[in-house]
Amino acid sequence: MSGATGGGPGRDPGRLALLSVVVALLVGGCLPAAATAEGRQIGGLYDVFVVIAAGVFLLVYALATFAIIRYRVLRRRDRGEPRQVEGNELIEAIWTAVPLLVVGGLFVGTLAVLSRTEARAATPAAEIHVRGFRWGWSFDYPTEGVAVSGLGIPGPEVVVPTGQPIRFVISSDDVIHSFYVPRFLFKRDVIPGRENVFDVTVEEAGTYHGQCAEFCGVGHSAMPFTVRAVSPEDYTAWLASERAGGASGSEAFPGATSLPAGSP
Amino acid sequence: MTTGAITVRPVPPAGSALVWLTTTDHKRIGIMYAVAAFAFFMVGGVLALLMRAELAQPGLQVMSVESYDQSFTMHGTIMMLLFGTPMVAAFANYLVPLQVGAADMVFPRLNALSFWLFLSGGIIVLSGYLTQSGPADVGWTGYAPLNEPTFSSSTGTDLWIVGLALTGIASIMGAVNFVATIFTRRAPGMSMFRMPMFTWTILVTSLLILFAFPAITAALAMLLLDRRFGASFFVPTEGGDPILWQHLFWFFGHPEVYILALPFFGILSEVIPVFSRKPLFGYRAMVLATILIGFLSMSVWAHHMFTTGVISLPFFSITSFLIAVPTGIKIFNWIATMIGGRLTFPTAMLFATGFIYLFTLGGITGVIVASAPLDFHLQDTYFVVAHMHNVLVGGSLMGMFAGLYFWFPKMTGRRLGERLGKTHFWLWTIGFVATFIPQYELGADGMPRRYVDYSPDLGWGTLNLVSTMGSLLLGLGFLAFLVNVGLTLRRAPDQPADPWGGNSLEWWTTSPPPEHDFESLPPIRSTRPVYDARIAAEQARAGPVTGES
Repeated sequence: MSGATGGGPGRDPGRLALLSVVVALLVGGCLPAAATAEGRQIGGLYDVFVVIAAGVFLLVYALATFAIIRYRVLRRRDRGEPRQVEGNELIEAIWTAVPLLVVGGLFVGTLAVLSRTEARAATPAAEIHVRGFRWGWSFDYPTEGVAVSGLGIPGPEVVVPTGQPIRFVISSDDVIHSFYVPRFLFKRDVIPGRENVFDVTVEEAGTYHGQCAEFCGVGHSAMPFTVRAVSPEDYTAWLASERAGGASGSEAFPGATSLPAGSP
Repeated sequence: MTTGAITVRPVPPAGSALVWLTTTDHKRIGIMYAVAAFAFFMVGGVLALLMRAELAQPGLQVMSVESYDQSFTMHGTIMMLLFGTPMVAAFANYLVPLQVGAADMVFPRLNALSFWLFLSGGIIVLSGYLTQSGPADVGWTGYAPLNEPTFSSSTGTDLWIVGLALTGIASIMGAVNFVATIFTRRAPGMSMFRMPMFTWTILVTSLLILFAFPAITAALAMLLLDRRFGASFFVPTEGGDPILWQHLFWFFGHPEVYILALPFFGILSEVIPVFSRKPLFGYRAMVLATILIGFLSMSVWAHHMFTTGVISLPFFSITSFLIAVPTGIKIFNWIATMIGGRLTFPTAMLFATGFIYLFTLGGITGVIVASAPLDFHLQDTYFVVAHMHNVLVGGSLMGMFAGLYFWFPKMTGRRLGERLGKTHFWLWTIGFVATFIPQYELGADGMPRRYVDYSPDLGWGTLNLVSTMGSLLLGLGFLAFLVNVGLTLRRAPDQPADPWGGNSLEWWTTSPPPEHDFESLPPIRSTRPVYDARIAAEQARAGPVTGES
C-alpha cells in the first residue's frame, strides 16, 4: 500500500481518537439551564446519560485505538498468519449482558422522569389554552376572561405565575405545530382535532423564548412566542390590567379569537 | 431474416448501450443501480450544500423560503430513497449471487424490472422541478395534514407520491428476489451458517423491506386518494387522523433506517477480517445480532412520535434502548476481530475503522434520543439532525465507501488510487466532524430543524458557520472520490481474482467475473472457502502433506 507504511498511519487514528474525545465532551452537558421543575428532572437525566455515554465512548475508542496501534503491520516483511481466533463465548456473553444492564438502568431513570413530566396537578394555578395556527399563536385564559395572540415575529407573550403548577391545553387550527420552549427542556405537538395537555411549574422568573418545532409551511421559522414568568402577585396584577384593556405593555393583540388569517 | 428459419437474436456487442438497456445480468444491474444512485446523490448533495450556505449566517442570503422547504424535502427523499436504498440494492445485486456461488439472481427479469421501476420512480420524483410550483415541499416525512392539498397544492407533491410508490414497489420486488436467491441458489456446501455476513445482512434487510415497504405504499396510495379523489384518511376536519400517517410512515421509516444500516454492517464484517488476516470474531453472534436488530427495528417506530402525546412512551423507549445491545455486540466483535490480527490500512480498511469511530458516536446519541423525556427537548432540533446524519454519513456512507474501495477491483478489474482514496477519507472524516458535531450543540441549545432562518440574538451563527465549512470538506472529499474513479477507469484492467487475500466466493472468480460468474467453485467447508483454498494451495506448494490440518 503506497503511503501506508512508515510511522504515520498509527498516529492518525490516535489523533482522531483524541479529537473525538474533545468533541464528545463538547456535545455533552450543554443543555440550557432548566426554568421548570420538570425541566430540571430532564436536565438531570440528560447528565446521567452523558456520563454513561462518555464512558461507553471512551471504552470503544480506547479499544479500537489500542487495536490499531498495537496490531498494525509496520514492515512489509512482517508476514505470516496471526492466530485464527473465531470467538470467545465468555467475552461475548459479557459484552451482551453488561450493556443490557446499562440500558435497563437507563430505562428505570427514564420511567422515573416520565412519571414526573406526565403527572397532572389536581388544581393547577392557571390553565392556558394554546392554539397554534399558520403562523402564530393564541393563548386563552378561559377562567380569567383574558386572551393574548400574535402573528409572526416577535409573536405573542404569554404570562404565567412562578412556583405553581400551570396547565397548557394545546391544539391546532390547521396543520401540526409543536409548542417548544427550550428553557423548559420540553415540547409537545400541537395537533388539529386533538387536545394535548401538560403541566409545568416554572421555578424561575424570567422571559423565555418559545418557537414552533414541527414543520408547518413557509412561516415555520417565523412564529416565535415568549413566555414571561412572574410572581403570583404580579400575575394577578397582569390579569387585572389585561381585563381592564390590555395596558400592561405586553405585545399582545387584543381580541385574540378573531384574528385575520395571513402572514405577518 | 426469412420467415420459417430459426431466428437467432443477435447479441449486441459488449459495451454498447443496448447491452446495458436489455441486461438481466445481476452484475450489470448492480452497477447500474450504483451509477443511478450516485447521480441522484449528487443532486441531493448540491441541495445540502445550498442549504448549508443559506444557514451559514442569520438572514436570507441564498434562496427563498419556498425553495429552502423544497430543498430539504428533496434532499431527504433523495438521500434515503433514491440513493441509500438503491445503493443497498447495488451492493446486494452485485455481491449476493457471487457470495453464494450462483450464476445469477433467481429471477433475472424481475431484477431488471426492479431497476427500471426504481429509475422511473426517481425521475418522476425529480420531475417536480419541471413543474411551475416546483417539487414537493412537505418534508421527506410528508406529515399530514400539511401534505393535504389545502396546504400543499403543488403538482410536485403528487409526483413525489407517485414516484416514491414506484421505487417502493421496486424495492419489494428486489427483496423477494434476494430472499429467493439466498434460499435457493446457494452452492453445494454453503449452509446458512457458512454464508458471508454481508449476505446475511441482505437476507435480514430484504425481510425488513418485505414487512416495512407495504406500509408506505399503502400510506402513499391513501394520500393520493385524499389529494386527488376527495378521500379524507388524514384530514382531521373530515374525520380523518393525521397521526395515522405518522404511524404508517414510521412503521416503514424506522425499519428503513436499518435497511440503510445493516448492509453496511455487513460490509464491515467482510472488510475488517480481510485486512486483519483473521476470521470474523463471533460469527454466530453477529448473525444473531443482525436478526435481533431486524426484529427490534420493527417495534421502535413510534419513538419518532414521543412528542405527539398519543403513544406509549415506556414501550417505545425500552425497545429503542434494546437495539443498542445487538449493535454494541457488532462493534465489540469488529474490534475483537482486529485485536490479535495483522492490520493493514488500504483505503477500504480506513473507511471501515473510521466507521467504528464515527458510528459509535451516532449509536450513543441514539440512546439519548431514545429516552422519551430527553426526546421532549431534543426532538425536531438539530440534535436529531446531527444524530441521523451521524448514523448515515458517519456510518452508512463510511461503510459504503469501504465497500466501494474493497470491491471496485472485483467490479472493474482496476484498483482505485490509494493517494486520492486517503485524501477522500480524511476530507470525509474531518468534514463529517466539522459539519455534524456543531449540530449536536445547536440542537441541545434548542435550534429547531427545518428553519430557513434563525434570529441573530440566539447565538447560533458561529456553530452554523463551522457546520457550513465542514459541508464544503465533505463536498471536496466526494470530488476526490469522483476524480479517483474517473482516473482509475481510464487505466487498463490489471487486477487478479483475489487482490486483497479475500475470504468469500466472489474472490475465487476473475476480476471482473464472466457473465455466468464462475468457471469453478472451491470446496465450501467454512465461512471462508477462498481462505481455505489458499491455505491448502500454500501447504501443497510447501511440500507433501504430512498430516491433517
